[in-house]
Amino acid sequence: MVRYVVTRLLQLIPTLFGLSVLLFIWVRALPGGPDTALLPENATAADRERLRQDLGLNDPIWVQYAAFLARLAQLDFGHTLRGRAVSTELAERFPATIELAFVAMLIAVVVGIPLGYLAARNRGRFLDVSAVGGSLIGICTPVFFLAFILKEIFAVRLGWLPSSSRLTPGTSYTDITGLRVVDGIITGEFHVAWDAVVHLILPALALASIPLAVVTRMTRASVMETLGEDFVRTAESKGLTARVIQFRHVLRNAMLPVVTAIGLLTGALLAGAVLTESVFAFGGIGSFLFQATQSRDYAAIMGTVLLIATVFVVVNLVVDLLYTVLDPRVTVDR
Amino acid sequence: MNLPGTATKAAKIDRLAELSVSSSDVRGRSLWLEAFSRLRRSPMAIVGAVIVSAFVIVAVAAPLLAPHDPTAQLWRGDVFPNRSIFVGPRAENPLGLDHAGRDLLSRMLVGARQSLMVGVVATLIGLSVGALIGGVSGAAAGMGRRLGRAVDSVLMRFVDMLLSIPALLIAISVAALLGPSLTTLMIAVGAAQVPIFARLLRGSMLAQSRSDFVTASIALGVRRPKVVVSHVLPNSLGPVLVQGTLTLATAIIEAAALSYLGLGSPDISRPEWGGMLADAQRFLGSAPHMALFPAVAIIITALGFTLLGEAMREALDPKLKK
Repeated sequence: MVRYVVTRLLQLIPTLFGLSVLLFIWVRALPGGPDTALLPENATAADRERLRQDLGLNDPIWVQYAAFLARLAQLDFGHTLRGRAVSTELAERFPATIELAFVAMLIAVVVGIPLGYLAARNRGRFLDVSAVGGSLIGICTPVFFLAFILKEIFAVRLGWLPSSSRLTPGTSYTDITGLRVVDGIITGEFHVAWDAVVHLILPALALASIPLAVVTRMTRASVMETLGEDFVRTAESKGLTARVIQFRHVLRNAMLPVVTAIGLLTGALLAGAVLTESVFAFGGIGSFLFQATQSRDYAAIMGTVLLIATVFVVVNLVVDLLYTVLDPRVTVDR
Repeated sequence: MNLPGTATKAAKIDRLAELSVSSSDVRGRSLWLEAFSRLRRSPMAIVGAVIVSAFVIVAVAAPLLAPHDPTAQLWRGDVFPNRSIFVGPRAENPLGLDHAGRDLLSRMLVGARQSLMVGVVATLIGLSVGALIGGVSGAAAGMGRRLGRAVDSVLMRFVDMLLSIPALLIAISVAALLGPSLTTLMIAVGAAQVPIFARLLRGSMLAQSRSDFVTASIALGVRRPKVVVSHVLPNSLGPVLVQGTLTLATAIIEAAALSYLGLGSPDISRPEWGGMLADAQRFLGSAPHMALFPAVAIIITALGFTLLGEAMREALDPKLKK
């Protein structure tokens, strides 16, 4: 097992190396060259010269790449056009996105797995048809449009839920982890935790649409496949109770592909966060990337893309490892 | 070997690739005839095909169908630009006017043409570049020898790495480099699809090259390059076609997202559904019809392509064969 983990970690190296080469080329290709693109318009000649020095634009290309790698290794992604370090911005905002993505995934799993299971058990009936139809529509609906609709109906028209940000403005809170709900619970400020939950509902619902659709369809397909397996018939003929068969034999085996899908959905979640967070001014890395694309803040775009790609790779690594726990047949030494 | 974090996504693509072999019919009926006859019996395929054909007809005939000039401001007397009053659906403008007083129906019809173009061109870019990488990789692997395997390995590691970046982020990065325009939209959305097509074509070519008729051709003394070009490649196209249809749906949705992010076409004379939807967000409270029509159009069109693609996948899948 340890060997497998180590091998998997070592295999991260070529991925990250390739990513760094791509990013390096990307920075080279910026319109007007990196020294124009990475500086605010009112930058002085001295600023420009300092950036050229920092980036080593006068050195040979391989020296530049080495310097670029060294900066990445120190998590130095340069500065935003407003002059703050990109890494600081990302560190401040990342917890918001984690919180949002986690809640969205929770909705997708808690609703999607039972729904997919029930759809499979009632194949061809009303529940099944509407679950499949609903999830197809969910996949085809632009996430940002769904976010608008939810915001317009529940926040603007009905006024049931807040329309933007993470907490009611003016709320004082103690910041420990950056996760407002967790902080509120740790410090005993339950009104803060509740306020944060209320602010999470609409953006999380919008963000959950695609994962929910995918989880539902995956569970349905997987349960249907498992129901036809020989071991299920064996279990039935052994006289096991329906409960044991359904939970221990069917559901557990059917969960394997779903877990994989959940790992892959991290990518959809993080990309979707760019759209939902901006609609709800949520203040995570998603709205940061949104603002960065609006103002062509290249350093910020690069830092965020690298962060998201790394998170995606790591989450899928964890999923691969989890797989061996869920399914002992998957051998770790390949 | 797969890179971590890409293994699962790659596996999904590979599974589709495998279908290229298993679906060829032993009884000698051609693959395409067999798949087509199954498609005709699938309600999913029929609904999808109807939606897709309606969309294509509208897109092609848009200038003939549009009742008004999509750029003309039609509010005469009844609305004043500075008092944000919006004209909803009425007899002469069945879908109402937009915030600048332009006929929404005409813009929707002309927009269908732009959206179709973005979808088709983006898919073609993704497909051709991806197929080129995947084809070279698959051919190299199929040729065998050390050099072939090395070429294949390097190309596939690159593709796997691209797969580790969410498609929308690739599109954003590309679009940010090129600046907002309709061309950018097509290139950015297409670029994001390249790794998927590459992996897919290579996968189905490899699956083909293990099949009996390839072994037979080689045993008969046909040269390897000829086997690859005239046997392996044509038989690998089924999964690519399925993926292409599904990609058209993704491309239309992703183009809308890019427009919303401000990376779409700024040209008002050539409206595009995603851009119209992005514009409409500011007026959601006072003019919901402006957002509703483009959104519904995007959803239905994407649904049409998805249904058709899924039905094609099922038609190719031997497990579902009766």
